[in-house]
Amino acid sequence: MFQTRLPRKATLALAVLAVSAPVRAQTIEDGIMMSKNVLCAGVAYSYDSWDEYWEGTLKRTNGNVGKVTTEAVTVMGTYGITDRLNVIAMMPYVWTDASGGTIHGTKGVQDLTLAAKFKVLETPLTNAGALHVFAVASGATPIGDYTPDLIPLSIGTQSDRFSGRLTLKFQAQKGWFLEGTGAYTWRGKVTLDRPAYFTDGRLYSTDEVLMPDVFDYRLSAGYVNGRVYVPFSFSQQITQGGGDIRRQDMPFVSNRMNASRVDGTVQYYFTKPRNLSVKVNGMYAVTGRNVGQSTMFTAGFLYTFAF
Amino acid sequence: MMTASGPFSSRIRRAAAAIALGGLFLAGCDNNLRTTEDLPASTPASSDPGAGNWKPIAITGPGQFTVAPPAAATSAAFQAELPPIRAAQASLTEAQRQNIEYWSGGGVLRWNQILREMVARYNLPPAPRVDGTYPAPDADNPFADPAFPFSNPPYAARAYSYVSVAQFEALKVTWFYKYEYNRPSPYRVDTGIQSLMPNTGLPGYPSEDAVLSAVSTDIMRLLFPAAVEEITLRAAQQREAALLSGRASSSDIAAGLALGRAVAAVFTARAAADGMRNAVGTRAQWDAFAAQAAARGEIPWTSLDTPSRPPMLPFFGQVRGWAMTPSDIVAERPGPPPSTSSEQMRQELAEVRTYSDGATREQVAIAHKWSDGAGTYTPPGHWNDIAAEYVRDARMSEVRAARAFALINMSLQDAAVGCWEAKYFYFNPRPTTLDPNATTAIGVPNFPAYTSGHSTFSGAAAAVLGYLFPAGASQFNQMADEAGISRLYGSIHYRSDIDIGKDHGRRIAGYTIRFARQDGADN
Repeated sequence: MFQTRLPRKATLALAVLAVSAPVRAQTIEDGIMMSKNVLCAGVAYSYDSWDEYWEGTLKRTNGNVGKVTTEAVTVMGTYGITDRLNVIAMMPYVWTDASGGTIHGTKGVQDLTLAAKFKVLETPLTNAGALHVFAVASGATPIGDYTPDLIPLSIGTQSDRFSGRLTLKFQAQKGWFLEGTGAYTWRGKVTLDRPAYFTDGRLYSTDEVLMPDVFDYRLSAGYVNGRVYVPFSFSQQITQGGGDIRRQDMPFVSNRMNASRVDGTVQYYFTKPRNLSVKVNGMYAVTGRNVGQSTMFTAGFLYTFAF
Repeated sequence: MMTASGPFSSRIRRAAAAIALGGLFLAGCDNNLRTTEDLPASTPASSDPGAGNWKPIAITGPGQFTVAPPAAATSAAFQAELPPIRAAQASLTEAQRQNIEYWSGGGVLRWNQILREMVARYNLPPAPRVDGTYPAPDADNPFADPAFPFSNPPYAARAYSYVSVAQFEALKVTWFYKYEYNRPSPYRVDTGIQSLMPNTGLPGYPSEDAVLSAVSTDIMRLLFPAAVEEITLRAAQQREAALLSGRASSSDIAAGLALGRAVAAVFTARAAADGMRNAVGTRAQWDAFAAQAAARGEIPWTSLDTPSRPPMLPFFGQVRGWAMTPSDIVAERPGPPPSTSSEQMRQELAEVRTYSDGATREQVAIAHKWSDGAGTYTPPGHWNDIAAEYVRDARMSEVRAARAFALINMSLQDAAVGCWEAKYFYFNPRPTTLDPNATTAIGVPNFPAYTSGHSTFSGAAAAVLGYLFPAGASQFNQMADEAGISRLYGSIHYRSDIDIGKDHGRRIAGYTIRFARQDGADN
């Protein structure tokens, strides 16, 4: 009766796309490193909403959920162990709401993500700039005991995840840059509170759900200098399996959730106080499958401590 | 490179290493599901040779069906059936072996699994049209949107009962003729033929596997016409397994197929005239329910779907039951719910509100465990799921397994009829209608609150299961209690709906159990 999709899913799956989008810079996906013994920590608030979603590939609205909103406050930090090795941690508190129907939203601490980011290479490329190559390994694990069986009102998928990511950045001397990043995410089994479920054409007599892997990539272009960091991006999330939401059915945790999104960020570094920056991001889902057509806004601040 | 810089960073590095190792573990070893319903090959504890004389339910007895005497085991005709089995066994494909293994888990149990899957597949309400109305599923156009059927709980209860009762009746007739003619299975006649399915000790003619394949197919394709291809293929695979396993010859199978069809015809005729076709009603009739409730001074039920959806099968209460007559149904109808303006209702609503505002995680888990809403095998399917493990572990013969499911599903159908009769007699609103600020943890079903369908189904199923498996009785009752209270935890029912529904279900099950105690199977 209720259909939709999970914006959260993106975050969960990738620890990159959705909730944590605010703090993208100096995080898992980008081509920025903190220097040795520098900690960059911050908090971001995000507001994601949609009233249209893709039931499989059919775009529709649903009065039984109305407009679905997902809000999150994410705390994150990146620490430079060396100039070439950073560690990153983040954890969101998430709450959801549906404007239609009778079902109430849920709320709670979602998942902890830990990542190690390594700068593999930095080499001049022509006279115009330099090529940077990064490799990231990240893992995420649910912290809150939330249910993953109420999508789109669940706050997460309750799945352990591991991602391997490669990022290439071409940084021109005049501040312009081009960036490409891609990741493959393995996801662990999810346990439901019920003994059987139907998905992808089959009845499963178990409370366990296999989660398809996810591939995601993102292409960005932008400008960076000492004061601002302004990337614009196109990204895609492509789930490597899973069933579609059936006609007039609820979504399910292992659905094939795909999305193509565009987003833009402006980050501004203050001169005073010197180590503070603020960042805003807007993101929009252009196409999707088994997901809501989200519009998400994020605002956050980051503070840098040197030890 | 990775220069160490103090104990803090080395801790971080260890954490990173743990992430990486965890990831490798996740990627490498995490792709097996712990299924709760494996059906390994098992040999029945008894072949139940007397089952041919167990009391019939919806047929007059074995004499209603003709099964011609088979050619003798020593005859040239029967002997000619054996070499092809030997030849086929000598060159079995992997797919054929797997098929034999699949059906070795038990024909009745397998068809019950298949049926639950069908129910879950088709248990989806129609999507609204742009103008806010809903199209009705059409049996004559089952592949359309909406698909036919919408196998909601009453539809499902009826479906499980038709398949189970028809299988049981057909197998009793089969047992009768098996022992009447006593022709052994091919593997017992020809030492060159192996027995690749569990040895039941049963005479081969007519083949019980073929009977099951035919009776199940004919009823299921009536109930789930859009699944005809899958149903037909499964049935053919069951017959192939019987043949290739050395259990049945081609004449055993032909006779079983004919018998299964003949028994199914009795039930398809019954289904065509059992009142189901009138269960939807008309808008004028739906409006009359509300007007009658209002005339009694009660706040009537309203749909909480958006857009407002016609009530689910409001005349299912007039559909034919199994162990209960229409007057039994009326006689067992629970008394009225607390008035919507009463102090008791105010208190019960306040109790719902406490769960609406603050159910614990454990309570929400219980609400989800028993939710069994759209897209699932429904509460009757949940109780079939529970029963299946007990039937499997009891190593029953096919006919006794069929009896177990028939009794459970007779009582579940009677519970559906009785509960729906009460729901529309009283037309009582849901808590979220009486308290606009109440919200729910799960979807609100699209029919009146009193009494709780889950509680009625669960009270009935737990009682019949307790009769069949006395050692599990307290567990079944505890499950029924949990299923019932899950509806309060989900904030979609008042406590009265649950307590009175469970009691109603137990009384309904009494009719089936009284039949069962004297049908001859317990002797």
